[in-house]
Amino acid sequence: MTRAGLLLAATAVAASAAACSPERDHGVVLWHTYNGAERDTLEELAASWNQAHPDQELTLVAVPYDAFADKLTSAIPNGNGPDLFIYAHDRIGAWAAASLVEPVEFWVDEPIADRYDRNALLPLAYQDSLWGLPLATKSLALFYRTDQVTTPPRTTDELIAMAPDARAHGRFALAYASTELYGHAPWLYGYGGEIFADDGSLHVATAEAAAAAGFARKLVADGVSPAETNGQQVATLFGEGKASMALSGPWFIGDIPAGVPWAVTTLPTVSATGRAAEPFLTAEAVLMSSRARDKEAAFAVMSYLTDDPSAVLRARQARQVVANKAAYDDPDVAADQVLATFRDQLDHTVPMPATPTMRAVWRPYQIALQEILRGGDPGDALRGVEDEVIHGP
Amino acid sequence: MTARRTRPSWLGVAATYAALLVVTAVVLYPVMLVCKKAFEPGRQFALSASPIPREVTLDHFRALMGAHGSHGELLFLRHAMNSALVALATTVVGVILSCTAAYALSRFRFPGRRAGLTTFLVVQMFPASMLLLPLYVLLDKMSLLNSVTGLVMVYATTAIPFCVWTLKGYFDGLPRELEEAARIDGAGPWRIFFTIMLPLARPGIAVTALFSFMTAWNEFIMASTFMTEETRYTLPVLLQSSVGQYSADWGLFAAGAIVTSVPVMALFYVLQRSLVGGLTAGSVKG
Amino acid sequence: MKTPARHRAQLRDWGAATLVALLIASAVFFVHRNREFRAREEGRARAAALAVARGEPPVGRVDLAGVVSPPRASAAYPFLRHRSFVEAGGDGAARELGGPCAPAADKLVYDAAGRFEAEGAFAGFLPDGSGRVVAATPTEGGVAVAVSTPPGGPDAFPWLTLIGVLGLGAALAGAGSVMGGAARPLGLALGASGLAVPTFLWGGALPATLIGLVALGVAWSAGRGGTDRFFGALAAHRTALSFVAPAAVSMAVLVATPFVVGLVLGFYDHDANSWKFVGLDNFAHILSGGGKAFDDPGNFWFVLGVTVLWTVCNVALHVTLGVALALLLRQKWLRGKGVFRMLLILPWAIPNYITALIWKGMFQSEYGAINSLLDLAGLGHGVSWFSSWSTAFTANVVTNTWLGFPFMMVVALGALESIPRDLYEAAEVDGASAWQRFHHITLPHLRPALGPAVVMGSIWTFNMFNVIFLVSRGEPGGSTDILVTNAYRWAFERDEYGMAAAYATIIFLILLLWTVFGTKVTRKEAAP
Repeated sequence: MTRAGLLLAATAVAASAAACSPERDHGVVLWHTYNGAERDTLEELAASWNQAHPDQELTLVAVPYDAFADKLTSAIPNGNGPDLFIYAHDRIGAWAAASLVEPVEFWVDEPIADRYDRNALLPLAYQDSLWGLPLATKSLALFYRTDQVTTPPRTTDELIAMAPDARAHGRFALAYASTELYGHAPWLYGYGGEIFADDGSLHVATAEAAAAAGFARKLVADGVSPAETNGQQVATLFGEGKASMALSGPWFIGDIPAGVPWAVTTLPTVSATGRAAEPFLTAEAVLMSSRARDKEAAFAVMSYLTDDPSAVLRARQARQVVANKAAYDDPDVAADQVLATFRDQLDHTVPMPATPTMRAVWRPYQIALQEILRGGDPGDALRGVEDEVIHGP
Repeated sequence: MTARRTRPSWLGVAATYAALLVVTAVVLYPVMLVCKKAFEPGRQFALSASPIPREVTLDHFRALMGAHGSHGELLFLRHAMNSALVALATTVVGVILSCTAAYALSRFRFPGRRAGLTTFLVVQMFPASMLLLPLYVLLDKMSLLNSVTGLVMVYATTAIPFCVWTLKGYFDGLPRELEEAARIDGAGPWRIFFTIMLPLARPGIAVTALFSFMTAWNEFIMASTFMTEETRYTLPVLLQSSVGQYSADWGLFAAGAIVTSVPVMALFYVLQRSLVGGLTAGSVKG
Repeated sequence: MKTPARHRAQLRDWGAATLVALLIASAVFFVHRNREFRAREEGRARAAALAVARGEPPVGRVDLAGVVSPPRASAAYPFLRHRSFVEAGGDGAARELGGPCAPAADKLVYDAAGRFEAEGAFAGFLPDGSGRVVAATPTEGGVAVAVSTPPGGPDAFPWLTLIGVLGLGAALAGAGSVMGGAARPLGLALGASGLAVPTFLWGGALPATLIGLVALGVAWSAGRGGTDRFFGALAAHRTALSFVAPAAVSMAVLVATPFVVGLVLGFYDHDANSWKFVGLDNFAHILSGGGKAFDDPGNFWFVLGVTVLWTVCNVALHVTLGVALALLLRQKWLRGKGVFRMLLILPWAIPNYITALIWKGMFQSEYGAINSLLDLAGLGHGVSWFSSWSTAFTANVVTNTWLGFPFMMVVALGALESIPRDLYEAAEVDGASAWQRFHHITLPHLRPALGPAVVMGSIWTFNMFNVIFLVSRGEPGGSTDILVTNAYRWAFERDEYGMAAAYATIIFLILLLWTVFGTKVTRKEAAP
């Protein structure tokens, strides 16, 4: 389908969605943090919605990511918030506890739920309710420079074996955000570690987690990966050829400078355990404010933004790893190897925990990783994480 | 040391120039890295420490200027105008409020004066990030959310403590003879304030004006929290929008940072004539 | 005092006391009225739900009422729970709730059933400001739910009552004044405490006593001439106060109000949506160091030490560099002053978010500019700046000095301008050395303008969040964190706003002590 055809289809679906909602006088306001192609696509979708629904105008408001959560928590309880907003699923726990978000399972029946990849929908369920509809998923995968790497490693042993050659060329084999839990998570879960036990209690200081941290330390000590790297430096190292491979997500596509030959594949298996390295999965979703003025209309928009034609448009133009399954039947989307890889990776991911406690874990875990990478004892450092999460900084 | 009519030894001159050049170089290096990023293609910072871009492009500036909202409006222009309006209004309101208060605190003796002075200082010691939510509720109750007035009032009051204290310092340093003379001539307190005190305190006013302007010009958290329509954002909000959760468009940010700092430099250029060299020794002696 | 003036003073005092009383009474009225309204309407909805539960038609104005079935979880998606609904007063047929086209009103009863299963029978207003009330109560075969709309809003403000009470009070005060002697304060006290009666009815003994105390206080003060002196002072300092008023009022509203809220929150514990008063617990937890050793970066006293050191280093560097550059830029023979000045304020002009990150990049161990430079100069190789406390702290201080000195320079430039040049000429004639001139002329003249800048600068540095957050991020091990970054973490990583507010209050108290001490010192030295 051409882009014009897609927009037409989107408009047609948008029009049919209206069939069940009566005439309204107030529109739907949606807050998002998108920029670049994602923003342009969202605006296109909004425009075609508005064409079909002059009486339910969809207004988009871009809010900087850094201010988004604060703005939301200030605005919604005071009745100034949006009707809908787009955000990753990992804050759902806190927002549900504070009654900022509206559960939506009321409007969702099996045919709607079937539209989405299960991996993308399940993270949006929290405490027996569904809190949004998934737009796209984000997770890490293995990017590699095709001018430096011919066959990407399938196991961590293969990965480590590539280091001496890379070193000889004055570069690192792999760059990843080694000091951040988000970057470290693939090893953590690949070694069988966890953050929360099945009953939801904190379970950080385990032998498996210590082994994973030990592995991360070995990567740095053996010169496989550079020390003290954050996400931003990963992009620079990879772009300038100082790292042959990088762990990063879909956003990385825009970060790679033009002219760099690259490809992406799924993460390797952890040789010590035989398990796949499993990165965090975040589901980016449209969520409804508990104070949405017209909830029926708001849900119609949610459904519209996540339906098949919209998803195809988002996958093609913004290269989102869309959660809608039917979108991948579109020949253009199906031909996109990058999206296909990220979709394959989905089967080996761990949804980022949505419980409010998780937010208190990031920072102590980061401190612990830094300590471990500098040679600290993994067991002690991880016990320190538990201590800080429970007792506070 | 400064009023000599003769030049000091060549050693002193050379040392002064050397010191200034070294400091300026250190100051400029990070700025040049920002410039480099603004003109170099790509979103990420380069590894190389050289401040010279390898390749020059205006893409980031084009993207910045060309950013448009959902109705096709040019966001950059809108936001720049909002910023200018908010910052200039903040400067005017902030300077007026602080000048009057500082004058009274400097020249009149009234009960509560010292307590007032301390209060001006004390209330801003509470970390600002903790006050965001109460302030939001307050502005909401006063219907000042999503309005330029609300933002200007918040910024102006943020700037007041420093401005009041600084201006009070300047007023304290001014001789009282001129006022006494004017009073004997029958001038009222407001007239004395406007015609005598304000012109004399020009360097102080220049400092506080610059400060008030900066308070409003580079602020981003409150501007993005209190404004609920995208067309009412200010420039820093537009810049911050290029920073996402996982990745940021640093090229765009750098270009925006350069553009944002130009008006500040221009204002400083205008103000520096008041800031330095505005007074002669005689006029102060009175 | 002349008689009419005396009566006027009596009425004036009565007016002042009544104004305070009126504020208290109004606040109490609104609290009382809302509570009453809430209880009444929740009761009405509950009654409707109970009627539905008994199988009777619901009483009162009800939008929607009926019985919701227990949930049937979808096989494929356990979080999709289907429910059916039998509307009260309908044909008794059950209909499915929910689905993509379901009306919004149905969702209220659907959610009410869910809430009932989680927390039992309840009645409460919807949070959407529509004024509707939802109640749920158990019944056979599910949950009886009623959604009701109040017939009207809460009671109106009782203007008539208040006018009556105020008129009576004014009359009493006036009568007291006419009678004179002991009747004068008695009339004032009685007249001003009239509002205590309706307040007692609305809010009980506590606010009523408060109003009585205000009235007694004013009457006592009036008897001793206190109110005369107060109002006399107001009149005498009319000009001064009118100069201060605009700034004072805007500060009181926009700065002091949120500030007081912040102070109060420190005594509460925040969990999800509820606030619980916990007294001094938060403070005790913080000040005890959370049970950690003194050299642990998690201990409050350790962080305080780092914060103080951070502030002292920065402010000292800002001032030294700023004043030194301002002095250099003042040389008459210097060429390109304007250009130097413009270039030197650049760090202040550019948004510090990006420059702080540039500095962070410059300190990067493998490719950073600073290590390249050190390498070039043979001073060291591959320094890992953020792996030891002293280097990480240095990196923070260097960045913040770079960001902060232009401000001090501008202040110093302005302050230097107010020094009459003939003072220097005179000093030179007297044969004073450069140091003597600096010490005896420049420094004393810089102090009045630089003093406040130093005090302010230290307050800002003490609370400087961005640099720490963007440059060292607390590395290594949180040891370069300062108090305000800790407060931030309590608030925005853990949602424990009470704890964060307590932190902020402690920061405030420390700064307050410092300023009271600091300004005393500057004042003493500034005195000729």
